[in-house]
Amino acid sequence: MNQETTFSPAQASNNLSNELLLNSSLCLELDCALNIPMFFLLRSSFFNFGLGLFLLLICSIKLVFPTFCDGMSFLTYGRLFPVAYDFLIYGWAIPLGFALVLWFTSRFSQAVFTHTRVLVAAAHLWNAAVFLGSLAVLAGYGTSVPFLEYPNWASFLLLVSFLLMGVWVIFLIKQSTCRTLYVSQWYFLTFVCSFPWMYGTANMLLTWGKIQGSAQAPIQAWYGGSLVELCFTPVALGIIYYIIPKISGVKIYSYYLALCGFVSLLFLGGWSGLSLLVGAPIPAWMMSAGVVANTLISVSMLAVVVNFYYMLQESKKIIIQQSPALHFVAAGIIFYVIATFLSLLNTFPGFNALLNFTDYVSASLIVSLLGFFGMTLFAGVYYIIPRLTGISWFSSVMIRWHFWLSIIGISVMISSMVLGGIIEGAALNDSEITFTNILSYAQPWRFLISISWLILIVGFACFIRLLVMMRWQMIKEKLPMPQ
Amino acid sequence: MNQLRSLFLMIASFFFLSWFGIVIYSYIHLGHLRSVAGTDGLLPPEYNGSAVRGAHVYAVNGCMTCHTQQIRQLDVTHADIDRKWGERPSVPLDYLRDRTAFLGNIRIGPDLSNIGMRLTDPMKLYQHLYEPAQMVEGSIMPSYRYLFHLQKIQGEPSAYAIVLVGPHAPQLGYEIVPTRDVQDLVAYLLSLKHNYTFPEESHTAP
Ligand code: HEC
Repeated sequence: MNQETTFSPAQASNNLSNELLLNSSLCLELDCALNIPMFFLLRSSFFNFGLGLFLLLICSIKLVFPTFCDGMSFLTYGRLFPVAYDFLIYGWAIPLGFALVLWFTSRFSQAVFTHTRVLVAAAHLWNAAVFLGSLAVLAGYGTSVPFLEYPNWASFLLLVSFLLMGVWVIFLIKQSTCRTLYVSQWYFLTFVCSFPWMYGTANMLLTWGKIQGSAQAPIQAWYGGSLVELCFTPVALGIIYYIIPKISGVKIYSYYLALCGFVSLLFLGGWSGLSLLVGAPIPAWMMSAGVVANTLISVSMLAVVVNFYYMLQESKKIIIQQSPALHFVAAGIIFYVIATFLSLLNTFPGFNALLNFTDYVSASLIVSLLGFFGMTLFAGVYYIIPRLTGISWFSSVMIRWHFWLSIIGISVMISSMVLGGIIEGAALNDSEITFTNILSYAQPWRFLISISWLILIVGFACFIRLLVMMRWQMIKEKLPMPQ
Repeated sequence: MNQLRSLFLMIASFFFLSWFGIVIYSYIHLGHLRSVAGTDGLLPPEYNGSAVRGAHVYAVNGCMTCHTQQIRQLDVTHADIDRKWGERPSVPLDYLRDRTAFLGNIRIGPDLSNIGMRLTDPMKLYQHLYEPAQMVEGSIMPSYRYLFHLQKIQGEPSAYAIVLVGPHAPQLGYEIVPTRDVQDLVAYLLSLKHNYTFPEESHTAP
């Protein structure tokens, strides 16, 4: 079958409008079937998110006041910092992304999900692996490979449980009563297929079995880049492609743009990680491939963002103003642009010489993980929780606090990382300046970074407060309790 | 379900491209480099057993989260060499002996790929790991005093006792001695010196 007929616009739009016409009793049935796994995944990922933020706050304080909680093996910066990031990535981002993917997929396929037991068991296994793996890293069994710190048994369990969870997404898509696949489903399928592949390969070569040290750098970079471009970005884009048309009732502005954006992301995503290796000891062609891929990926980003922009333009202002999910989507899109721009800058050798290895590098990661992916995930959460529980959000004040505190926290953090990074980079390039002087230049910016973690935690607390209020409401009205 | 299949094939084939280009290429070419004959012995030199265990201590304590081990290529920047962090840019062969290559991606502390050339005195390294803020004013490196052992002085003070001045220095009658772990770690740090060059052809990219 050729592409033209496979992804024809008419068919694709058909699918979404089919989905729009779902009658409410079917919706209820679909949601009920997924209630137990959904609530488990949501609850555990929120818990891990809070924990990850808290640990990152401690880490950032340690950089400003090194005597804070020091001298203890399990709280030392070098162990705590990777654990905190792993909580965000494996404890929050991937399971929450997966939960949303599963829920949206079941909506698309209109098939009632019947294998909750296996799914819940797999989700428990995943969670156990994250927890025990993190404890093991704190106890001194980490591997020190970026993003793959968990010891072998934990990463193996993670892979197995992801396969056990992911297979149901494919199963649901196969059961679909519609013949065509909507844009979001392309992206969701990308996530479900690529994560096990890359996690398995990277672990096989870097932690389970160890390839020669000389070959590890490109594979580490490939894993990091693919994690962002082929796992997080697709989930976020899929959610946005679902939420904007559903809430505001507009159609996708251009299917060809959507198709271009999708195909180019698929094509370039895996290569973009190499751009982190500008200047590193790898063959020159790899460096150039990374630079080219990362430059082109910003074009792919533009295709997608133009599409979203026109869709948001078309929708009624009043709808956007009233929908928390659309607020978060809009913020996510803006952070997407910023994230792409920041990582683009770091690929040009001239800028790279200045910025690489400074706090600037963390800014790119934070803005794509928390800014783009995080805000979009919360958009998804704001969209589905009322549908899962049957009651609507009732405190727009708390939502607003959550939204604005997140925005402020992320913005302050990335601006201090970028500005601090530029100053550190300029100082590092001047060999007259001693390293301790550089540390003192970086100090005020690192202090601001601690403050912004605190702001993010307060914002997230508002969100948790909102959930607790909803639960109260449900107890008062004696609504059936989610597990 | 033709559509699902073609979508699946598309994802798989595009993913395969980068997987093949990066992972398999690295595996085949960079993963099977050979050490080369230098003037005295093979290059890069073998680590001794203590240094190999020390690399493990380096890994599990996460030194990599703050320290890189790579000197950047000259067409990108001269800054690393100007700072005397190394004499030449790193090449893939430098990592041949490492079980895990600690390239690192952020420099909260200085690069350590040649720390064995800068700090040659083990005592200085022990002191630095125990009380970094006493050694370097304004240092934000965490103290690794959990890698050391406090013991009562019995008779003569131990020859291995660390000379300390900071708030965590031992009381009178006690002394701090390094554990096996930190001895290995220091042996590893001292072995980090790339003060040799490979013959030109052995590290140019194929
Ligand atoms: C929180 C980040 C951090 C961690 C983790 C860390 N260091 Fe450091 N390290 C620094 C900073 C900052 C400096 C520069 C100030 C100084 O010399 O104390 C430094 C300096 C050093 C130096 C002296 C370098 C020189 O050029 O004089 C050595 C050696 C060193 N660290 C070894 C280690 C080892 C070994 C570990 C792991 C057990 C480690 N560091 C973990 C931040 C860190």
